[in-house]
Amino acid sequence: MKPFVALIKRDLILGLRKKSQIYQPLVFQLLVVTMFPLGLGSGAKTLAMIAPAVIWILALLASLLTLDQIFKNDYDDGSVESYVLTSFPLPLAVLAKVIAHWLLTGLPLVIFSPLIAVLLHLPSSSIAVLMFSLLIGTPIFSFMGSIGSALTMSLKHGGLLLTILVMPLLTPVLIFGASAVVESSLGNSASQPLLLLGGLLVMSFTLIPFASAAAIKINLE
Amino acid sequence: MSIIEAIDINCQRGYYFLFNPVSFALDRGQSLLISGPNGIGKTTLLESIAGLRRFQQGSVNFDGKNILNCKDQWFDQSLYIGHKTGNKKELTCLENLLYFLQIQGVEINQEQAEQTLAAVGLAGFEYHMAGRLSAGQKKRLALARLVVVDFLVWILDEPFVNLDVAGCDWLMSVLKKHLNNKGLLIITAHDNRAIRNQVSQELVLQANLQ
Repeated sequence: MKPFVALIKRDLILGLRKKSQIYQPLVFQLLVVTMFPLGLGSGAKTLAMIAPAVIWILALLASLLTLDQIFKNDYDDGSVESYVLTSFPLPLAVLAKVIAHWLLTGLPLVIFSPLIAVLLHLPSSSIAVLMFSLLIGTPIFSFMGSIGSALTMSLKHGGLLLTILVMPLLTPVLIFGASAVVESSLGNSASQPLLLLGGLLVMSFTLIPFASAAAIKINLE
Repeated sequence: MSIIEAIDINCQRGYYFLFNPVSFALDRGQSLLISGPNGIGKTTLLESIAGLRRFQQGSVNFDGKNILNCKDQWFDQSLYIGHKTGNKKELTCLENLLYFLQIQGVEINQEQAEQTLAAVGLAGFEYHMAGRLSAGQKKRLALARLVVVDFLVWILDEPFVNLDVAGCDWLMSVLKKHLNNKGLLIITAHDNRAIRNQVSQELVLQANLQ
């Protein structure tokens, strides 16, 4: 398991040194969310109504900003070879890369979500559900993104292609995530959409590392 | 029996085969220089042997087994250093070496890593970011992997590029030592006047005209 830990640690150090990967999604989210009251201009009630959808769409778009980085940098400088040409299984290496990416980009989104929720007048009783839904939803973004990133890593400007490839895969996450928050803001139980999200996460966790590993191999050919 | 045996291998780019099929056999302590004009497919061939690509034709056997069937064994015994150095520019030289080896499942301590960096002429640069090194120093940092672990097979794509005269001499002595220790070497070199006298075989790739 040592290579697994080493790969996560290496990526965390890289992320913390570059920083842009961490604050870009957060700043983007904050900037866009401040535009909503200005554009809508119709008070707290409307904002609270659209808040679940807005927060989840923002989380999705903010994640898309950094998804191409998962493998692209490693491809460009050749360090992808260090975990392809080894007896350590490539799907596990993919898993390590995804975990590191989520810790650097997904987790900050979860932590900062209460701030966004307050700015959009989401009822405070729904904030716990919001954070939990993001906690199990954002890793799926990183998982699905790893396929797109592996497929587009050799392209110079693969960002748009990656978005087109990955966005359809992410719509279920958006639907269940946002509906969990909507249900809880209406005072209903949010367990059903949350369970479906959990199912998606388990599926991503078990299947996607293999898909991404295959995509990396295709791309190196 | 030879350790590495390549039989009628060929690589494809798009729909075209790159060169006429080649075969070679290497035993312990033997080395192979692959040469040919630019664009003939030297790098593609090396990448295929290393395991990054698949052959469209032929097979390479390692210890009597097709490398596709004993990938783990092959990866554990071979080291490929290509045009892309694989250094992370935001990591220090020391971190680059340590993390590369850890990902390969090799554990060395800090002292060993520092000694290795000193041996490749990067003493004093241990805590410099790799992105700030010169091209030659980056190459030296990548080549440090050769010195630190005993990989049986070295697959080197243009290792002399960007190195200064002293660096070339140093690398040549490292290669000689590796061969004396019964290691295997597959190499391409643009300026192959010096290396040609050291290798046991040379393979000249010829364009496939079909």
